[in-house]
Amino acid sequence: MALVKAKKGTLPPVVEAEAASLEDADPAQRRRAAHEAAGRAEAVAPLAGRLAREDDASVREAILTALVRTGSAEAAGALIPFLASEDVGLRNGAIESLQQMPAAVVMPEVAPLLTDGDSDVRIFAAQLVGHLPHPDRLPLLTGVVERDPHVNVCLAAVEALVEIGHPNALPSLERLVARFPDDPFVGFSVESARHRFTEDPERDLGA
Amino acid sequence: MTAPLDPDDYDAFCTFLRGRTGLSFTEAKRYFVDRRLAERMTAVGAESFRDYMNLLRFQASGEELQRLVNLMTVNETYFFREKYQLDCLVNSALDEVVRGRKPGDRVRIWSAGCATGEEPYSIAIMLLEHWGKVDEYEIELYASDIDSHVLKRARDGVYEERALHMLPRGLVAKYFTEIEPGRWRIMDELRESIDFSLVNIVDPAQVARFRDIDVIFCRNLLIYFDDLGRREAASMFYEALAPCGFVCLGHSESMSRMSSLFVPRRFPDAILYQKPQR
Repeated sequence: MALVKAKKGTLPPVVEAEAASLEDADPAQRRRAAHEAAGRAEAVAPLAGRLAREDDASVREAILTALVRTGSAEAAGALIPFLASEDVGLRNGAIESLQQMPAAVVMPEVAPLLTDGDSDVRIFAAQLVGHLPHPDRLPLLTGVVERDPHVNVCLAAVEALVEIGHPNALPSLERLVARFPDDPFVGFSVESARHRFTEDPERDLGA
Repeated sequence: MTAPLDPDDYDAFCTFLRGRTGLSFTEAKRYFVDRRLAERMTAVGAESFRDYMNLLRFQASGEELQRLVNLMTVNETYFFREKYQLDCLVNSALDEVVRGRKPGDRVRIWSAGCATGEEPYSIAIMLLEHWGKVDEYEIELYASDIDSHVLKRARDGVYEERALHMLPRGLVAKYFTEIEPGRWRIMDELRESIDFSLVNIVDPAQVARFRDIDVIFCRNLLIYFDDLGRREAASMFYEALAPCGFVCLGHSESMSRMSSLFVPRRFPDAILYQKPQR
């Protein structure tokens, strides 16, 4: 039989080296350092500092995962600057990581970005807020729909509201059409949302 | 914990679920349903049953409904479950793994979340029966679970008839002995060929011993994890795998939702996720 007893096998020995460093030349050691830093408050700043310079995707992922595991307001705050990064992979990694952190610590960090001067940052913030299970997300997103001057930011908020699926957002969406009467995509998006929110509930109940 | 649903809400939910998915739960399953609903309502921050139903009904992606369905469809496992993935192992993945290796080299396969052992034993049987190069390599099979009780059952290797229902009778006769009516024990050679161990797959210290693994099976386990847990598990698999090693997930699971580090590989029988060369 070709199956050998694995216990007598040849798995490489686990080498208990000294603490790994985030600045090591070997990506495997940097990943190990990131794994070891997960959940440690004092490691947030070094992790974020390394993340800004890190170009190995596997190490980036380990650092982001460690910051999510830490899950503190400081860890969330350390990720906020990456929302403005020109590096799409890093920016998306930061957004995805913030989505996975506790909503209660992320929302206070992200909500102010809904009024950031950069409309791209406001778009990312709206997308992010839409994913946070937090009681403020509905009023925050309807506030964007009601007040933001940039149509693409409003549409990001509409998309998030549709995903949340709460019909209470409908009045704000109706007012958005009035704010951008000449934008066909606004009309289309709101019409889609209106249709979705006013589906006959009996049909969904299988009646 | 969210309070149990009142009878009208429970009926409305069961009707909705049946209409959308065909899944049917009666009053007898009340506790089972209530617990899973409460778990998902807490996870998404729904403040009321009405809020949660709105999410299930109107969410454009349908993601939450899928998650709830996954929770509601936990089944006991059995031999040759989702066999197309085992076919993929012996028809495609292993040939790629051993390309460039010499006869006598090691091939390491890890069943992570092996429960009561049906998966690692199925892998062993598939290798012996259907991989033509099985005698050319030293194959090590590792199996782990976080639950010591199921591990004991896996080591014992005793199964009821229903766990064997997908196995051809010839294979049952070849690899099992009926120890009493309806109860079968897998042969000692197979039991002794697998290294069973207690492992929490998101604990780096516990996973550290798994290195240079060629194929990891982790099917229908990560549905029990939250997003962070899945992400950490993916990181651990990345560390454990040899370059170009494969991860096999359950049919409803996707690595792209957990990690961007793996490359999906479409083989004739199934999709696997591959660790890049570097």
